[in-house]
Amino acid sequence: MIYFPQLSSGATGQFPIARQRVARTVVNQSCENYSVKLADPGAGITEWHLSFEELTDQELAALEALFQAVQGQLTGFTFLDPADNLLAWSEAQNQAAWQADPLLIVTGNIADPLGGTAAFQLVNPSGATLMLQQSIDAPASMDYCFSAYVRSDQSTRVWLVRGSQTDARVLSQQWTRVTSAGQLQSEAETIAFGIALDPGSTVEVFGMQAEAQTAASLYKQTFETAGVYPNARFRNDALTITTVGPNRHSCELDIVNVEHL
Amino acid sequence: MFPTLKTGAVMQYPAKRTLQFATGVIRFLDGTEQRYCDSPSVLHKWTIQLDLLDEAEIAALDRFVQENQGRFGSFSFTDPWDGTVYPDCSFAADTFAFQLRGEMRAKTELTICENRS
Repeated sequence: MIYFPQLSSGATGQFPIARQRVARTVVNQSCENYSVKLADPGAGITEWHLSFEELTDQELAALEALFQAVQGQLTGFTFLDPADNLLAWSEAQNQAAWQADPLLIVTGNIADPLGGTAAFQLVNPSGATLMLQQSIDAPASMDYCFSAYVRSDQSTRVWLVRGSQTDARVLSQQWTRVTSAGQLQSEAETIAFGIALDPGSTVEVFGMQAEAQTAASLYKQTFETAGVYPNARFRNDALTITTVGPNRHSCELDIVNVEHL
Repeated sequence: MFPTLKTGAVMQYPAKRTLQFATGVIRFLDGTEQRYCDSPSVLHKWTIQLDLLDEAEIAALDRFVQENQGRFGSFSFTDPWDGTVYPDCSFAADTFAFQLRGEMRAKTELTICENRS
């Protein structure tokens, strides 16, 4: 899998990060300002403008290696949006993107910590550990941070699943945002994120979020599209690098994801 | 409904609102002219400039534009000047761009226009 590399800090981008989504709507407008519109959802384009400063030789080499591997704008690569949640349907656990173990009971419409009713309850009535997880097509070897708001009326714990890593977090009756972050030694081209419950436990969960960075940012709700773009491309065939000193490089990149390619 | 910021506000200063009439003018050779109203009513347009948004606020706006597929969709918009609800509005463009200049420092600009329905 060819993918956009992370910096040594674990981040995919540096501030400022600019993102633009472009839809296509065909509009037939009359002289009296009445209009008939036709959507063209297949023509959507998402673009990012990334500016990098003070890159090390190693970081620059990784970017250059990617640029050469994909031959500029010729072929695609996997890009993880630094400004989005990588998990799709973050508030709809009944969607096919989520895989729940057969005996796990998932109940929605629970009051959430942001004042809505988008939390859900997980009940494990079995004698084994059960899991709700979502797998994304991204290299498991990158730095990730998985986060979720959790609470329970029981004195129990929850397991945060991040690939082959599971981290236990003790729960309270108050909503608490728990995180699991780090890098795995794995060559896998997919990685799963989710929640695992001990036998007999009941947990309320909200706002599951995965990000390709070392710490959690504010929760972002997602629907069918999330922050994983398996066929992104560079917009240009040229990569210009400015070196201002030893081990000090800068460059700017435009990345584009076109739905119909 | 158009999403509000965490403060409950829809817009930030400077806020811009446009009232748009369509008047047809026929000018004759002798300099006189005849004017006629080419549309049944005034149309409103709001230019919303937002700065210092956090990631959740900008993500909510991004999702809302996506749900509407750019200027294709229709939604109701409450004019923050007078509280009037305009039930049929759309984005003026198919493009939604924002810039993240740091944590909780997102910036964007949107234009909403009232549809003739």
